[in-house]
Amino acid sequence: MEKIGLYLGCLIPTEQYAYELAIREVLPELGTELVDIEGPACCGAPLRHINLSLTMYLSARNIALFEKEGLDILAPCPYCHQAISEAKDVLDKNPTLKEKVNSYLKEEGLEYKGKVKHYHLLDLLHDEIGTEVIKEHIKEPLEGLNIAAHYGCHLIRPNDIPRPDDSENPQKLETLLKTIGAESDYYNEKLDCCGAHILLNEQESALTKTGQKLEAVQNHGFDGMTTMCPWGQRMFDTKQDSAGQTVGASLNIPVIYYIQLLGLAMGKEPEALGLHLNKSPVDKLGSKEED
Amino acid sequence: MSIIDLTSMAEPEGEAQKKINDIIKGLQEDIPHDCYQCGKCTSGCEAFILTELEPHKVMALSKSGFIDELLNSGEIWTCVTCLKCKERCPQDLAPVDVIFAVKNIAVSSGKQIDSGYSNMLQAVLGTGFIQSPKEVVDRENNAVTRDDMGLPKIKGPEEMPKLQQVLMKAATETLR
Ligand code: SF4
Ligand code: SF4
Repeated sequence: MEKIGLYLGCLIPTEQYAYELAIREVLPELGTELVDIEGPACCGAPLRHINLSLTMYLSARNIALFEKEGLDILAPCPYCHQAISEAKDVLDKNPTLKEKVNSYLKEEGLEYKGKVKHYHLLDLLHDEIGTEVIKEHIKEPLEGLNIAAHYGCHLIRPNDIPRPDDSENPQKLETLLKTIGAESDYYNEKLDCCGAHILLNEQESALTKTGQKLEAVQNHGFDGMTTMCPWGQRMFDTKQDSAGQTVGASLNIPVIYYIQLLGLAMGKEPEALGLHLNKSPVDKLGSKEED
Repeated sequence: MSIIDLTSMAEPEGEAQKKINDIIKGLQEDIPHDCYQCGKCTSGCEAFILTELEPHKVMALSKSGFIDELLNSGEIWTCVTCLKCKERCPQDLAPVDVIFAVKNIAVSSGKQIDSGYSNMLQAVLGTGFIQSPKEVVDRENNAVTRDDMGLPKIKGPEEMPKLQQVLMKAATETLR
């Protein structure tokens, strides 16, 4: 993929800066030019609780903006990616609805056609760029590290709209980890949710989910956990301390975006990948590797 | 409370279902009709383990027209949207979407909701995003902003008043 429109949504460009830094640092080197466009807003998914029509409009609008520029979309947030997939699925099956949505879009000078494709990092890296090309760029393989994969609920479910990997047995992230030299054991809690979506109103339950999964990862003996979701990363990394307090565990497990790990394996400077922004002890990954 | 009281409190079955089906049409088959209460949704529910949420009961209550019961239960707000119920239902139903629909009805009927949600809506109507760029701290406790790290300016919606207007209209429609 030579050129792709970057759609960051809300959480990445307002606080999960490490994800954005690493994406901008790594992808161009793998031959994918990122294009920033003017005008996209929230994907609408966080507003589902309030009004499902808002979600539909906002996602259709975002797609239309990229269509206007003739660009396929990279949505590195699973929540955004799923909102786009759902909007496309519903609109492409229902011409009457598409017409109705377009009558609103017209007021903003836009039109939804449903012609552009959209990707998450998982399928962009695994299916489009491909493991062979990635391998050619690896200078410092992450040998000796066993990393737990966390996909994020919205990245893999529901399967029918469709998602970038299988809902019950996703494997692409593990494959990508192996591509950069790491191991990735299976663990029973692999598909467990991070709890992010009730952090607003049910903080203790949310952090319990986070803490329980991290505890399982730590007890399994993993060297770290990797994510592809800014919401999951925020829970497992940014809020690891409060999650540990909530479940009464002493948590000390590195949590790192996969794209950061890939950057490290490509020999990039940690700071350029935003590693200083991870709150969990990611330094441990480097020392383990040198053992 | 007798069973008679319970039934008289329910909205006529058809109406309650219509409200919900109207909101989620396009996302799944008509609800509760086809739910045979197998409980598979609840057995894998990520919220059930921690809270009282039982998605199969949500389906049963909406099937029998107990919308008020659902609207007034705090449980619908504990769904973590893991989507496992939608993925696994043998009848291709989506309790999670029914839960969203019930929340939407709660909002439109003026029920008190957590201020976190209304703040998010306000932010999207005001700026296009759920929050504005934050200053964060790194592991050494230094404060950093997008600018500090050389990240480009966010180019959001150019004409916010226009978008806001369209969103207000879209909210009253069923775009499903
Ligand atoms: S899994 Fe489906 S059919 Fe079974 S109880 Fe849940 S909603 Fe009903
Ligand atoms: S989406 Fe909600 S109701 Fe469905 S299984 Fe997950 S937490 Fe339970």
